[in-house]
Amino acid sequence: MVGPIIDAADIVKDYGSARALHGVSLEVGAGEFLALVGPSGCGKTTLLKILAGFEEPTGGRLEIQGKDMRGVPAANRPTRIVFQKLALFPHKTVAENIGFPLKLQKVAKPESDSRVRAMLDLMHLKPEYLTRYPAQLSGGEQQRVALARALVSQPGVLLLDEPMSALDAKLKKSLQAELKKLHREIGTSFVLVTHDLEEAMMLADRICVMRSGHVVQIGTPADIYYRPANMFVAGFIGETNFLPVTATKTAAGATVTSPLIPGASAEIPAEHVSPALSAAGTALLVRPESTRFVKGDASPGEWVLDGEVEEYFIKGASTQYRIRVAGLPAAVVMDLPGSIVLPARVGESVRVGFQPAHAFLLSE
Amino acid sequence: MKKGTADIGNTFGSIGRRSVLKGMGGLGLAAVAGNFLASRDARAAESLNYMCWEGYNAPSILEPFQKQKDASISIDLITDSAGGFAKLAAGASRDFDLVSSDSPWIQRMGPAGFCRFIDEADFAGQFAEFYPQFRAPFAPLAFEGKATGLPTRWGWVGPTVNTKFDKLETWSSYAPVFDSAYKDKICLLDWGDWPIMPLALYAGINPYEELDEAALEEVRKVLRAAFKNTRAIVADLAVAQKGLIDGSFRALIGGGTYATSALRMKGHDYIQSIVPEPKNGLKQGIIWMEATGLIDNGKNSQIAADFLKYIVSPEVAKQLAITEATCNLVPNSKAEALFSEEEKKALQMDYMWTAWDNSQFHTVAPNIDDMLAIWQEELAAR
Amino acid sequence: MQIEQKSWKDPVLIAMVAPLAIVMVVFFLIPLLMTAVLTFQTTQYYRLSWTWNLKIWTEVFSKPHYWTIMLRTVGMAVVCVLLCVLIAYPAAYAMATRLKSYKTQIQILIIFAFLTDAVLKTFGWILILDKNGVANWLLMHIGFPPEMLNLLFSPAGTMIGMVYNLVTYPMFTIYLSLVRIDRDLVLAAYDAGASRLRTFFEVTLPLSRPGLYSGAVLVFVLSLGAFLEPRVLGGGTSPLASELIRQSFETRVNWPLGAALTLVLIAIGALTLAVSAALTLRRRPNQRSAA
Repeated sequence: MVGPIIDAADIVKDYGSARALHGVSLEVGAGEFLALVGPSGCGKTTLLKILAGFEEPTGGRLEIQGKDMRGVPAANRPTRIVFQKLALFPHKTVAENIGFPLKLQKVAKPESDSRVRAMLDLMHLKPEYLTRYPAQLSGGEQQRVALARALVSQPGVLLLDEPMSALDAKLKKSLQAELKKLHREIGTSFVLVTHDLEEAMMLADRICVMRSGHVVQIGTPADIYYRPANMFVAGFIGETNFLPVTATKTAAGATVTSPLIPGASAEIPAEHVSPALSAAGTALLVRPESTRFVKGDASPGEWVLDGEVEEYFIKGASTQYRIRVAGLPAAVVMDLPGSIVLPARVGESVRVGFQPAHAFLLSE
Repeated sequence: MKKGTADIGNTFGSIGRRSVLKGMGGLGLAAVAGNFLASRDARAAESLNYMCWEGYNAPSILEPFQKQKDASISIDLITDSAGGFAKLAAGASRDFDLVSSDSPWIQRMGPAGFCRFIDEADFAGQFAEFYPQFRAPFAPLAFEGKATGLPTRWGWVGPTVNTKFDKLETWSSYAPVFDSAYKDKICLLDWGDWPIMPLALYAGINPYEELDEAALEEVRKVLRAAFKNTRAIVADLAVAQKGLIDGSFRALIGGGTYATSALRMKGHDYIQSIVPEPKNGLKQGIIWMEATGLIDNGKNSQIAADFLKYIVSPEVAKQLAITEATCNLVPNSKAEALFSEEEKKALQMDYMWTAWDNSQFHTVAPNIDDMLAIWQEELAAR
Repeated sequence: MQIEQKSWKDPVLIAMVAPLAIVMVVFFLIPLLMTAVLTFQTTQYYRLSWTWNLKIWTEVFSKPHYWTIMLRTVGMAVVCVLLCVLIAYPAAYAMATRLKSYKTQIQILIIFAFLTDAVLKTFGWILILDKNGVANWLLMHIGFPPEMLNLLFSPAGTMIGMVYNLVTYPMFTIYLSLVRIDRDLVLAAYDAGASRLRTFFEVTLPLSRPGLYSGAVLVFVLSLGAFLEPRVLGGGTSPLASELIRQSFETRVNWPLGAALTLVLIAIGALTLAVSAALTLRRRPNQRSAA
């Protein structure tokens, strides 16, 4: 059995008296695509620098491909990084940039040339770009050259430090798709740092959510989205609704009641209950796409809230409603399938329904 | 060029008169400063523009005159006699009223048309106070019987010796300059024609006469021989004096009293300038003299002539003799009574007529440009 | 990379360029032309006469010693550039990398070095280089024979003075271009597998070239005009062009000759710059950073 390609345990990093990482543990499997996400200052970039060898951890253990990385300089690690600002050498041509790692490994010129060309093909760059300088390329092309430079020496792990944050939305989308495809084609482990959870969910096999130097949750995109460890993770992507409830644990899961829906109680199956459930601040996580307008009778088991349309946004494929509900601090957000017929107008009284058994029960 | 405005000599509180050329920038700056002074004192009844060597511009000389005559004086310092002449010749004479420079150049300014000839009778009172050697008719400033200006300062050029290290008798000839025992112990002052003249005299050539090719070749040979033995060719007086005092130079060649008196005045009385003995009938010393002339600028104001009388008067002549940077002799015999014993000793007044008798009188040598070109060539080949 | 293509007839462009163009013409081109015109005249009895002949140029080309001095001046300038760069680069590199926390103090020191009067600094060297000066005193006290160095009044003394007075220029220009290098580029080289030394030669050195070249050009041009150092420290052992030109203008009052020598110096200097530019900038990439 192949062990993890990166095995980090209890990594601590101090800058003077400030602690940037509080004992972070993480494994990255061979060929896996892992995303490190979190708000600015959460420590994800510091962790990446430690992986790359630009920073030495204050404490903990780091093994890459089974070898202890303590004291191993960046140059001797099986990792290659793509920088946020790409860091292409402005005084070298595209060919020289891509071929730089091979030149350092003293790869013979003919072989080096053919590998550079192969990278160029892989990145869908035209051969005439070889003699150009980075400043003569577009942002997307520079991105691909940076990827090619990082991949040409066939690293064990590719590290990506928010490489797409500076691109416009459309270019970003197409490059994200290409990156995913590239990962599947070459099978190298990727570690992507991003503050954009949506990007992480699109690309990564697993996501590691960080906050203030701690790992909050590691899991598949589905885990992170539907079974967040706490409200921080749940709120990190898109918009979501928290319905305050009172929960009682049972053998099958939990029984919840809400002061907003007098007399009603619902059974939440165990797999929809956060393992870290505590008594304080318990809430049902209701995703906006799991709600509907109730006209007529409610479905069996469905909970219904009375409210008034505050605002709506037509987004094309979907229409978003914000419903003011008495007793809730924030408006309830609903994502409904787009339709030529508007289901409700601003100021209209509506009823919002959802299945509590399909929601996720968590606490702060 | 770079650092063109830097005045090397001033930094060390003394000025190499014939040296240390401030460059065009310096001249321009002085002109601007002059104009500024002129405009500031526009209220003064009359203004004088005065081109002169360092020393003539001392406030103790200028201020009493400005008060007495309600005049303002703007100064343009000369850094090179020939350069000053050329500047006036190029048209600057229209802007000046007075000029004090080396006598051969003043002498030429009358015939050249930008200085007024003076009627020596007008200055009979002044001449009467001068030593007999400077009385009218004074040949060194005359051209075909017509005189330009009055003599104002003088001295002699000969070896400047530190008697702590060398006896004066050693320097009764310029021979040590070429003696291998003095290798790397001689300093030539890089002051235009001044170091060339004594070396030519030693070679038996009188540089103040018209020279043929053979004679110029002799000058070249003597310069080449001197350069071989010389430690340094120095333009800055302070550097030369420092070396002389600490003994790294045994003698300065090309200076003389101009390089000596201020040191003696400061107590270095073991430094002395002498004049070598005549060699094969050729006097080896050189007398230099400065004179002050009246520039012909169309205005020809009386006040300029008044200044001429003022600058040679005994009290002012004494001020002119003893300045911060250099100390020099003056032609007015009545000034002698005003000097203290120390000042007389500093000026080597007991030796002055011996020097006079054994010297050539400095004029513009007919072949000076040839000799300067030879100097440049031999220096380049060093 | 978006350089707007504008016509030379664009009135806005002309208006923007005009002040600089006028300044260049008035303060540079016209004086240069006047200098050139002067070389075809002669002087007689210390006065310029408008003769229009080639006498001066014949003299300049027939007397080898003018060329000796000119070539020595260029040679000294080249040596001075090399020494200045060799001293300035490590100093600037240390300032930009190792001594970052003393950045302000170092910059203040450099500015002071610029502001101190060059005349004063040059005279200071006399006290150090003299036979009985500080340098020999120190050497004697650590066991060397007395008066070991004889640097004052030698070409080496001139060179020491020139290097000392000029080394701050490349130090500053190199420092400025070093601190502008994105730290990520250095990290990228390490990441690609380069050692520190290799990174220096592959990334740092090429990217600091603008500062290196501008510093070298500054030193070269200022060295050509070196006046003070040969005068104070050279003792007539290494006459350089500016002193020759001054002598021609002032002592010999031969303005046409001085003008001709000035033009020769400018021409040799420009030629040297052009040749070295052609040699070093053959493969001049677009230095704009990719970001």
